[in-house]
Amino acid sequence: MSTLRAFTMPKWGIEMTEGTISEWSISEGDAVAQGQTIALIESDKIVNEVQAEFDTRFVRLIATAGESYPVGALLAVMAGGEVTSAEVDAFVAAFRPAGAAGESARATAAQAAVETLSPVVTDYLAAEIPPGVAISPQAWHHASQLNIDVRTIAGSGRRGRITLQDVEQASRPPRLVGGGTAVSIAPTTTALDAFYASPGAKRLAVVHNVDLASVRGTGPRGRISRADVARDAGVPLRSAGVEVVRMSSMRKAIARQLTLSKATIPHYYLRRQVQLEALQSLRDDLKQQTGTAPGLNDFLLRTTALALCEVPDVNIQVHGDEIHRFTDANIAVAVATDRGLITPVLRAAQTKSAHALAAELKPLIDRARAGRLRAEDVEGGTFTVSNLGMFGVEQFDAIINPPQGAILAIGAARRQPVERDGGIAFTSVAWLSLSCDHRAIDGAVGGRFLTALREFIESPQRL
Amino acid sequence: MAQMTIREALSRTIRAEMERDPNLLILGEDIVGGNGTAGGPEAIGGIWGMTGGLYASFGPKRVIDTPISESCIVGAAAGAALAGKRAIAELMFADFVGVCLDQIYNQIAKFRYMFGGRTTCPVTVRIAYGAGLNCAAQHSQAVYSMLTSIPGLKVVMPTTPADAKGLLTTAIRGDDPVMFFEHKMLYGETGEVPDGEYLVPFGHARVVREGRDATIVTCGALVGAAATAADKLAAEGIACDVLDLRTTSPLDEESILDSVEGTGRLIVADESPPRCSLAADIAALVSSKAFAALKAPVELVTAPHAPVPFARELERAYLPSPATIEAAVRKALAYR
Amino acid sequence: MRINRDQLINAYRRMKTIREFEERLHQEIATGEIAGFTHLYAGQEAVAVGVCAHLGPTDYIVSTHRGHGHCIAKGCDVKAMMKEIFGRRDGLCKGKGGSMHIADVSVGMLGANGIVGGGAPLALGAALAARMDGAGKVAVAFSGDGAANQGTTFEAMNMAVVLKAPVIFAFENNHYSEHTGVSYAVGAKDMASRAAGFGMAAHKVDGCDFFATYNLMTEVIAYCRAGKGPVAVEFDTERFYGHFEGDPQRYRASGEVDRLRATRDCLKAFRAKAIDEDLLDSNTLATIDTEVVALINAAVEEARTAPVPSAADVLEDVYVSY
Repeated sequence: MSTLRAFTMPKWGIEMTEGTISEWSISEGDAVAQGQTIALIESDKIVNEVQAEFDTRFVRLIATAGESYPVGALLAVMAGGEVTSAEVDAFVAAFRPAGAAGESARATAAQAAVETLSPVVTDYLAAEIPPGVAISPQAWHHASQLNIDVRTIAGSGRRGRITLQDVEQASRPPRLVGGGTAVSIAPTTTALDAFYASPGAKRLAVVHNVDLASVRGTGPRGRISRADVARDAGVPLRSAGVEVVRMSSMRKAIARQLTLSKATIPHYYLRRQVQLEALQSLRDDLKQQTGTAPGLNDFLLRTTALALCEVPDVNIQVHGDEIHRFTDANIAVAVATDRGLITPVLRAAQTKSAHALAAELKPLIDRARAGRLRAEDVEGGTFTVSNLGMFGVEQFDAIINPPQGAILAIGAARRQPVERDGGIAFTSVAWLSLSCDHRAIDGAVGGRFLTALREFIESPQRL
Repeated sequence: MAQMTIREALSRTIRAEMERDPNLLILGEDIVGGNGTAGGPEAIGGIWGMTGGLYASFGPKRVIDTPISESCIVGAAAGAALAGKRAIAELMFADFVGVCLDQIYNQIAKFRYMFGGRTTCPVTVRIAYGAGLNCAAQHSQAVYSMLTSIPGLKVVMPTTPADAKGLLTTAIRGDDPVMFFEHKMLYGETGEVPDGEYLVPFGHARVVREGRDATIVTCGALVGAAATAADKLAAEGIACDVLDLRTTSPLDEESILDSVEGTGRLIVADESPPRCSLAADIAALVSSKAFAALKAPVELVTAPHAPVPFARELERAYLPSPATIEAAVRKALAYR
Repeated sequence: MRINRDQLINAYRRMKTIREFEERLHQEIATGEIAGFTHLYAGQEAVAVGVCAHLGPTDYIVSTHRGHGHCIAKGCDVKAMMKEIFGRRDGLCKGKGGSMHIADVSVGMLGANGIVGGGAPLALGAALAARMDGAGKVAVAFSGDGAANQGTTFEAMNMAVVLKAPVIFAFENNHYSEHTGVSYAVGAKDMASRAAGFGMAAHKVDGCDFFATYNLMTEVIAYCRAGKGPVAVEFDTERFYGHFEGDPQRYRASGEVDRLRATRDCLKAFRAKAIDEDLLDSNTLATIDTEVVALINAAVEEARTAPVPSAADVLEDVYVSY
């Protein structure tokens, strides 16, 4: 009597693993006709209307709008004729997603359950292991996640049991051993074997024709090191013309941070020229009127702050799967010091005038150059501005400072001919380059930010 | 430089040291041979032929044939050493340390320490070890693993004639007790030996082959097997570092760790049975001091946990070989 | 009897020192301050002193686990010995050996030995070294009736005969091998005749009679120094204390130790004979007694307050160089 059917999360493309119900287009109990839109479902690539493939009635809606579900998960129950609530309950309880995707869905669901519940749930997981396969529950789970058929794995554990390492090995491409061209393994330093010296020391001795008998070893049991050879035989440790400087911890930190940024963040760059005439006029007027004025860069910081408030999707930090949107524009300003690049932060820059920003920035720069910045001076930035204009650099692309989502690079102001009213005029322009993290900021968003920024720069009365 | 066998190198070194130091004496069974027989003294110069002619040159007070009394061979060497002499005790087969283990492990190993550093016991105990000549369970053991673990002893095993000379000289002239292991299969091994004074320091491994793909650490007769395996692999583009430890106490930890830090893959070939063995010791050393450098589990190629069998096929199966060492290298390289 | 007055005084002083040292240790051990095993020599003094009186600092002795007496008789520093037994840094072995491994190679005392029978091969070796020097030096292997049954002892005796080594096998028969009587453990008639069976000269003497011991050893040592080969001497002696300190000695007959102290005390016998035959007067003996007691008291006081070794010393002297 039951003509119950499952409406499940569709799989669009081989890479799709889950989708989100953006909204239901029908309500529970509705009858739908073939072709009618049931729901809007969003995958990581597209948002699609899902239409009914036949006439049916949606007797139970299970999925909630706004939530993500793995491919194959039960979203709703459809029925051809009259059904009781109990029948629907039974159908729901007995439902199992089909295929490997379903398996991984179950495994993921089960793992989520395992993470929060008692050990009893692990038995459930273990119960899934196919009979005749000796494998630890952990390895089994790992195999399910990696989509590996454990029946193809030879176990290396006790009594042929499949271990976590066996699953790991099976998941990696096989490593070819041998079958290459012959190599020479004759030791290069046999003549020097009478001496207890490191391989590096022996090589150095050979290269510089040093008799190791004349070298005093300072290592354990009188072992000769490269430094010993260099010292006793008067040979340079490396070729001349090179001074080896060990990285300071600050330099190492910069190296680490920026390497991480470049390696993991999908950077893209949006560049546009802006005209600075209006801003420069404003500045000149202020100077004339009050005797002093904030620098051009301070004005640019203010415009940046306002633009960040206008396009808050750029004023973010990216943390794993989460985007943190900030209400305050905490702008980190790149400062060059003897020890390396450091970025003190101007907090809530949108609330401060260019004057205030200048006043706050100066002591920060001084402290930065003296090496006396405190942790709170450099924490919590949501956006960075870097200006290499003082070096005449016209255009450059900066590297994003994680966990921020973007960085603005400002070039030198130059006089350049621009089109104006059908003719050519000279005006002061500068290149801006906005580097964005494509995981969190799409091109259009970046573009909107640059537009907003340009407007604030070229219409400074809004400042 | 001269070409000679390990047997000759040892023989000449003993003679040279006896000449150099009038306080050196040597004792053991059949060192001289023939005492009390129709043939008279020197009917045989040592079972392995290395002490012939010494009696004629240095006399019965310094070249002493003993009855079959291992405890007294080592014990008398020890007593003479405590009384200011320097002694070489020859025990024929390494397995016989069982008969006199007290003198080795309770006496000579401990005198310096127990007596507060106020004396030395310069005894070199020469023992022939190892399987491969079908001498079966009681005449084939690799006893070095057990003796390496004893504080106070030094354990040495040369694999080339040059090393035989250099290491034996260092052992005799040093003031610490040394267990000097001579592999039965290597007595006939030939090589170049430097003339004149030649000492090889302890705790300094010899690089037999150089490569960046895997490290093979071994000693004794297995050095040759490891080199054979490495050469075969080199023909396929796999380059192994092969280290001949030469001394297991002191151990050249630096060279082992240096090599593993470069290759990330370690294979240890050891003729001892696996429990509490040299192989286990080196695996533990590397796991604890160079874990981050390892790209694959340590591969141990050892004898099985069994006495040495007699039949040729069985002994062949018992010992590590170039084939088993090669297989271990491939296994380590296949690990992803 | 060829012993002069000075030698007699020396002998008595040495024996008295051993006796006081051991008696005092017996008390100190009971307080719990001394670590490990200690085996006291009290009662056997005449043997150690009777033998060592004929030895110089270039002769060698090897001792047993019951080695304090031999150590003192051979001329080791008493205060350094006490510090060693107390485990102090300035002990004779820097606190590294303790009672069972007490040694001073510089005066020819090649160590007490914790292994029963461990010393005989060592003494043989020392004798071979002496033979190389050709200066008539000898080595003495002190053994108990227990060690007399060890394979190492038999090996050493045989090899000594074969090599004609100048070694004296001194068997101190105090009638107990640990907790077993010598009549059970030694199968032969006695140790001397068994040693003779190995082909060496063998003697027996009352080890509680200093004078008899001293006289016999005069000949024995002269024989050895002359290069005539090894000699075995069996000394009939008694130990007043247990095998080790803490031994309940249930194997003794009731009142046995009291009887021994009354009738088989070598010091009492020495005093009696010395005074009886007018060799030494009681005042001299009393003075020596007082001095010895003072020495032992000072030794204990110094040992108690001496500094202990530091943890860093554990790794020192395992090797000469490593």
